[in-house]
Order: sequence, then structure tokens, then C-alpha cells
Amino acid sequence: MSQRSLPARDVAVELLVEAGAVLATSLDLTTTMKQVAHLTVPRLADLCVIDLREGDGEIREVAVAAADAALASALEELRARHPLDPDGEHPVARVIRSGEPVLLEEMSGVLLRSFAQGGEHARFMIEHRYRSAVVAPLLARGRTLGALSLLRLGDSVGYHSGDMELAGELARRAAMAIDNARLFSRLRRVEQRLEAVLANVAEAMTLTDDRGQTVFANQAAADLLGATTPEELTNAPPGTIMERFLVFDEHGRELGLESMPGRRLFAGEDPEPLLVRNVVRATGEERWLIVRSSPVHDPQSAHISYVVNVFENITEVKRAQLAESFMAEASRVLASSLDYAETLQRIAQLAVPQIADWCAVDVLGERGTIERVAVHHSDPRRMSLAEQLDRGYRPALDEPLGVPEVIRTGEARLYADIDPDALAAYAHDDAHLSLLQAIGARAVIIVPLAAPANTLGAITLVSAESMRRLTDADLDLAVRLGRRAGTAVESARLFTERTRISRMLEAALLPDSLPQIPGVEVESLYHAAGELNDVGGDFYDVLAYGENRWMLVIGDVCGKGARAAGVTALARHTLRTAAMLGLTPTGMLETLHRALRQQPAGSDLCTVCLVTVEPLAAHAALTVTLAGHPPPLLIDPSGARSQLGTPGTLLGVLDPIEVTEVAVELRPGQTLLLYTDGLPEAGRSTGLDDQSLFEVSDAVGHSSLGELLELLEEGALQRANGSLRDDIALLAIRLRGSGVTPRRASGRVSVPG
Amino acid sequence: MGVPDQLRIEIRHDGGRVVLTLTGELDMASAERLQQAIDEEGLHAETSVVLNLEQLQFIDSTGLRVMLRALERCRARGQDFAITPGSPQVQRLLSITGVATHLPTISSPDEMVA
Repeated sequence: MSQRSLPARDVAVELLVEAGAVLATSLDLTTTMKQVAHLTVPRLADLCVIDLREGDGEIREVAVAAADAALASALEELRARHPLDPDGEHPVARVIRSGEPVLLEEMSGVLLRSFAQGGEHARFMIEHRYRSAVVAPLLARGRTLGALSLLRLGDSVGYHSGDMELAGELARRAAMAIDNARLFSRLRRVEQRLEAVLANVAEAMTLTDDRGQTVFANQAAADLLGATTPEELTNAPPGTIMERFLVFDEHGRELGLESMPGRRLFAGEDPEPLLVRNVVRATGEERWLIVRSSPVHDPQSAHISYVVNVFENITEVKRAQLAESFMAEASRVLASSLDYAETLQRIAQLAVPQIADWCAVDVLGERGTIERVAVHHSDPRRMSLAEQLDRGYRPALDEPLGVPEVIRTGEARLYADIDPDALAAYAHDDAHLSLLQAIGARAVIIVPLAAPANTLGAITLVSAESMRRLTDADLDLAVRLGRRAGTAVESARLFTERTRISRMLEAALLPDSLPQIPGVEVESLYHAAGELNDVGGDFYDVLAYGENRWMLVIGDVCGKGARAAGVTALARHTLRTAAMLGLTPTGMLETLHRALRQQPAGSDLCTVCLVTVEPLAAHAALTVTLAGHPPPLLIDPSGARSQLGTPGTLLGVLDPIEVTEVAVELRPGQTLLLYTDGLPEAGRSTGLDDQSLFEVSDAVGHSSLGELLELLEEGALQRANGSLRDDIALLAIRLRGSGVTPRRASGRVSVPG
Repeated sequence: MGVPDQLRIEIRHDGGRVVLTLTGELDMASAERLQQAIDEEGLHAETSVVLNLEQLQFIDSTGLRVMLRALERCRARGQDFAITPGSPQVQRLLSITGVATHLPTISSPDEMVA
């Protein structure tokens, strides 16, 4: 050991700077302490030992440095066998207990023996000529972590109080490094535990800082956000992850980064969990996510230092829910209209934007042509593209692909990835191709518009600018829609057709307009029963019947449908002819009876009521003749009413018939009402003189004739819950100037719809 | 058709006659079934066919036609045909249509047909 002078001030500064550099660079505790110990040798000491107090209170030597390497390893070996007694007199133990530095300027053999850990230790110290020592506590945050011991050996100059400061400073710095290293390692352990937990959480989680940098992500987050590893996310610059997606809220509005709960937390808001529809730009895959973010506050500043984002993938649940509500809405829409063009347009509107960006409906026309009947896009400006396409390139039924194929085969098709080559192959020419490219279909579903027995057309759903990928789940939903819509269209078509046929037949059975009777108002109303949407057997007529006389006719042929319609036409025309020939009412009825008896089936029932009307100066003279028909009513302005006529035999079955002509007067203000039994039968009341007439009687004094008939119709419909079992025919007259002015003079035919 | 059939028909053979007791409503929905029942059971009756209408609440013109056809058939086979009075609505329809006077009416299903 050579004699050394005390370090100069600049040596001390140099040493502290070097120590600072060492302590700042490495966070491995043992390495750091060894480096610190080595820095002191030989400038500050011949031997340097750093001891730490362990969690259990034991003292452990962590670093030994000496100019003589053999000495250092011998000491390490000795200390391993004879650890220092924490409660003993060794200066290191005392310093660690007290937290105060110790200066031992000159150590005698007696002193060394006094604190040695046994004879071997004492011999070692004496043998190696321990001379002088400074022991400084390693103090950090008020706790003594250990001690730094500097020793002079042999002939070196001993320490004095002036060395305490430098030793103390060095110890403080080392202590801080030790403390940081321990905190760091504890933090690492916590983090590793956290990572282990988060990595195993099924839900995707990320931790982002206030710059939007992802500092942690689990594998589930990497999977969800389209990264191979979590590191790919933590390495991505702030804001770049979101660029991979299109993000919409539940109502289809596009959302920016600032709407995300994490960003809103940093902005000082308290956001609710956010439900988003997330579309991966690269693949078009669509997911429904709930994004929840919670803040991690910095314990010192109470500011938010991080936010934890949890992404819950609810795609399956949401899809199923949307599919159900979509189908419920589709059924509601389809059931609400029997107009089939309107129905199809509403279908197209319903599908956009829920399933696709475009929806078109094509139907197969009667001559085998494909007709586009509805098209919808959420942006009306883009609609013109579809119109151009339809105008220029309407597909023919024999084309191999697309709508014609689906209509021919009845099989749904999903084109999940529209390939540019396939598009080019499908296009008829360059203009067609550029139109198709402008539409920018990413995926297409075509499903049959399937009626129970045949395919009526096809529904085409196109995903374009939304980038949405169309999946098998979408295909299933579209097929259901196609079936539901097909059934609705079929019903609407049948209804339209039947209504048309019914109207034609009714026009043949009912008079176009009623003749004018001077001084007498005439009103009629016909309501076909809704259930069968079919012509019934009711008829009425008003005929000229000689000089200043008219004949009111109302009748009912038993049954419905084509046969009843035939018999009804026979009845009506037979009565017309008989009236023209001047037969009496009885004679007219007998003629009709014979005509019916000659019908092949022989059992067609018909009931008829005939009323002759002869307008006179102050009243009208009537005769009422009944053949199996309900008696007409005479209603006073007060509401009092009476049945007219005498019951007579119905026509067509029983021989001979018995009928009676009964003379009555129609006075000013009185109303004569002829009706068929659809009226009393509505709701199965046991007679017309019940509820409906009671209501009408109240209104008779202040209603026009037309209003009166409508009231009767409404009442009957109400009692039948909107669905009549039989037709209603009403015919009424009143003397002019004796009541409320009628709103119109001609009859009204109503067909349910 | 969508209209529920509201007619119950009970058949009882009693000596040479058959009694069909109708309960409920006789209309377009049930008329054909009654027609078949009368045709089949009537063949097995030696003397007479009785329609017991005591429990019949409602009848329409289609039901009336079935009864009139039954009357014709029975007469053609040499059988007697009779009905018992039904509800006010039934009686009213029979009266309005002038059928009441043509259809033999007995006061109870057990009364012998004249």
C-alpha cells in the first residue's frame, strides 16, 4: 500500500460526478454498488465495503472493492461465513442502527477485537492492517438502507473529520440509487403482475397516456385492434391506431378520436361507456364494441396520467338484437300496406343503412323481363348512379350471374369480396364497368324475393363506402327479409288483382248512377265484406216504373263468389226487364222466382224487397213488397221508426210464393231505409232494430241522407271489429227540402283496402 | 276462410227418426258440415228427420238454404221433416223469409212428427 495524500477538492468533485453517472445509468443494484465501491479505490480508500440491511434485518455485504483483489475476495468469503450481527458492536451495525456516521481515525488491535465477529475476523483485520475508517449511513427517504465503509490500511493516512462530508455525500447518492432501484424493481414486479393479469383478461385492454400514446396493451387488444402483438400497438405513434378503423355511433354517425371516452377523460369530462360500430378498413369486418375508459390519477398532482381502456366485443349479441328488431320492423312495414310498389320501396329504405349502403329490388315482370321497382341509398346524390345503371344495363333473365341467376334458381348469393377482375368480367362494356366502379361495391348480397310457391324477384344489398364486410349472418338476415317481403308482395299482388276483378264484377252488378226522382233524394252505399275480398250477392237498383213512378230494388242472393255473382246478375236483369214490361211488384217477383227455379242447381235462394215510389204534392205514395227480405224501415225525424210491409216467401226454393203489396206514405222529414242482412248480421246482433238503428235514430234529424248511411256502415264495421262477414247494401230516400242538404247525389261503393 | 266454425251437431237416433241438435251458429262456415250430416243420417232414418234448434243462437241465409234442401230431400224420400223453434233471431229469419209457414214446427224434439 503506498502512501497517499488526502484527495484534493477537485478529486472529490470528480469522484461525485463519476458516481452520479454510474448511479444514473444502471438500475441493477449489485452492479451499481460494485461500481460505486470501485470508484473510491484508490482515490478515497484502500478498501470499500457496502452493506445493506435486508428486509429481515440481517446485514448483507453487496460490494467489496480493494486495490488488492485477493483481499477483496477473501473478505467476501469471510463475511459470507460470518455475517455481521445487526445488534453487535461492529461500526456498520451501529451506523445502520443509529443512522449516524462513524469516524474511526486510528483503529488499535484492541478496538478491532472489540467489534470483530469472532477470532478469525479479528485476525483478518489485524493481519491486513486495518488502520482508519469512515462508515456513512445509506439514507434515503428517512430510512437507513445500509452503510458505506471506507478504510485505510497499513501506512496510509488516516481519515479525519474533513473526510466525513465526502463519504456522507457519496453514501447519500448511493442510497438514492439503491432506493430507486428497489422502487423500480418493486414497480417491475407490480407491473409484471399487472401484465400477467391483463394479458389473461379476455377483454381487450389498453393503457394510454395524455399524448394518446398506447403504453400498454394486452394480446386481446392486439387481436381486436388488428395488431400481431401488443408491442405493435405500444410502438404505434399516437392517433395512428384509430386510423385503421371507421367508427360510428349507434345511429350511424361517424365518430372521431375526440369522441372516444379516453380522450374525453383527458379533456376533463366524465364520459359514459360508448357503444360503437367499428369497421376495420382493411378487411371491412364489422364489430360492435362497448368502450369503457377509467382514469389513473397521478398520486402527487391528482392529474390524470393514464387512462385504462376496456373494449368489450358485443358483436354477436348486437347482431342478433339488430336482426330481430330489423325483422320486426320489416314485418310491421310490410303488414302496413297492401300497395306492393310502396311496400318494396319501404323494404329498400329499411335495409339502408342497417344492412347495406344500397338496396335495390327487382321483380320479374309478366313477360319475363326484370324490372327495377325500388332502389335506395342513404345519400340521394348517389342514387343517380343506380338509375343510370338501371337505364343502360337492365339485366336480361338469361344472364349467367347476379339478379337473373338468383331469380332463375331461387338461391341466395353472397359475393363477400368483389374482385376488380370479376367486376371487369361481369361488365358489358367500359361505360358499364366505370359505372360499377363508381358504385364501388365492396360486397354484394342478392336474395330471392320468395313467395310461397315461386320467386317473384330479387333483393340486392350492396356494401360500398361504409366498407362493411357482408357475412353469412347478413346473408341469413337478407334471406329472411326476402321471404317475408316475397310473401307480402304476393299478398299485395293478389289483393290488387282480386280488388280489380271484384270491382269489375260489382260494376256489372250495381248501377253506375241512380236515376233522379223529382222531389226525392236517393242515396246508396255498398260495402263488400273484407274477409274474402270477393263479390257478394247483394244488389240494389232504382228503376223508372211508368209515368211519375219509380221502383226501388234491393236484394240478396245466398252465397258468394262467381256462382252468386251469376245469380245476382240474373236477378237484377230479370227484375229490370219485368219492370220495363210493366208487371206489378208481385208479378215481378213471381217472374224472378220462376227464373231462379229454372236454374240447373235449383236451390239458389234470393230475397228481394221492392218499393214503388210515386212523388205527390206533399208526400210520396209507396208500396212495399217483400220476398223473404228484411222489411224496410221508416224513420221519423224524431227517431221513431217502424218496419214496413208484410213478410213474403223468399224466391227460388218454395212453391208457391206468397207476397203482399202494402201501401205506405212517405212524409216530409221521414227517411225510408232499405238494407240487406249484412247489416243486422254484423257482429251477430239478432236484428237491425238493435244497436245500429238506435244510434242512427238519434242522428236522423240532423244528418244528411249520405251521412246517415255512413253512420250505419261505421256502426256495422265497429260491431264486426272491422271485418264484415257479409256485404252491406243500403238504399235510402227522403223527400227533398225536408231535411239536411245531401253532400252528394250518387251512390258510393266501398271496397276494403 | 278464417271464420271459426261455431256449430256443434249432436246426433241421436230414436226409433225410426233421427234428431240433430244444433248448438251455436249456423252460417257459411258450418253449413256444409250440417248438409253432410243431414244427408248421411237421413239415409239411416226410416220415418223422419228432426232439426232441434232450441240451442241454435244464429242462422244466416246459407243455413236457411241447408234446411230447405233437407226439407226437399226428405219429401223426395218420403220422410217427414220438422224443426223446433230456435232463438228469437232464428225465428225472426224464418218469419221474414216466409219459410216458417213451409217448415213443420214441433214444440219439442221428443214430440211426434205429425
